[in-house]
Amino acid sequence: MNSLKMDFLSSDALISRSSMEKVSMIVERVKNGDLVVIEGGLSPEEEAELIETTMREIDIENFVGIDIYTLEKDKVSLFGLSKKKIVGLTIIGPANIMKTVKKKSNFISMIANIGDTGASMR
Amino acid sequence: MQSIFRRFLNRLLGKDKKLKIGLYGHPNSGKTTLANTMTNDWLGKPLGLTSEIPHETRKVYKQERVSINHNGVELDFDIIDTPGIATKIDYKNFLKYGLSEVEAKERAKEATKGIIEAIKWLDDVTGVLLVIDATKDPLTQANITIIGNLEARKIPFVIVANKIDIPEATPERITSVFPQHTVVPISALHGENTGNLYDAMVKRFK
Repeated sequence: MNSLKMDFLSSDALISRSSMEKVSMIVERVKNGDLVVIEGGLSPEEEAELIETTMREIDIENFVGIDIYTLEKDKVSLFGLSKKKIVGLTIIGPANIMKTVKKKSNFISMIANIGDTGASMR
Repeated sequence: MQSIFRRFLNRLLGKDKKLKIGLYGHPNSGKTTLANTMTNDWLGKPLGLTSEIPHETRKVYKQERVSINHNGVELDFDIIDTPGIATKIDYKNFLKYGLSEVEAKERAKEATKGIIEAIKWLDDVTGVLLVIDATKDPLTQANITIIGNLEARKIPFVIVANKIDIPEATPERITSVFPQHTVVPISALHGENTGNLYDAMVKRFK
């Protein structure tokens, strides 16, 4: 039976890891066909490192790269005077199985193609 | 004496540092077309080859000593035309452009190396033109990653909303998504609005 493994990682689970450890952990899992959901986001430097590592790991036949989607949330400043958008959730998965159906700032609807069957995530 | 003092002051402020402007963006957003338009305008020759097949540019191309003289202001810089940045490369996508399987696989391999090279060049560029295809969704991971890195590294940049000659182009969408940044709508292919781009470059990079 075809299946999709999803790993959910809290921000606490990542905070003690170095950028390289985070990126290696993500790429290793995604290369195995898993979907990784992270609480919060990666830094711009980590995102660049993630793309770079992904490019090194691409093997033409089996791993064609990654898809990344983020959901943002508002962060209000200390005295509530201003607010800015921060990443609340990051979803990273193998590009050949992820297919976004709909994406808004606070909503993602995604279909994962697993062989002939399909799994839906909303 | 005054010029020696000015040179010393410029060096102190980093103003005599060579300006290296990188062209960044997705594959097929029109980076090389823009590079060619700029070098044709100011040097009278093109820089690189363009094609409808994605990842035509798979190595960094450099044109040194380009000098823009716009409205009496001169801007000297090197153009660094980088391969398009993507998070995935599937050789099967190249097959529909008539490439053989061997050619498509080779192109995919070269494209992965090109993306790594483009990312590495972020350490060296001193200004960036982020070229976005105005007919497509601008909110992609590649664009977000490029902008995030430019902001984190304090590299000045201008967003180029390209392909406005195509009826489906919506450059205003790019402006609404990135309201805090300078967005210049152009058609690199037809040289439309490039004067506005040179104006923005002089303001942002001078």
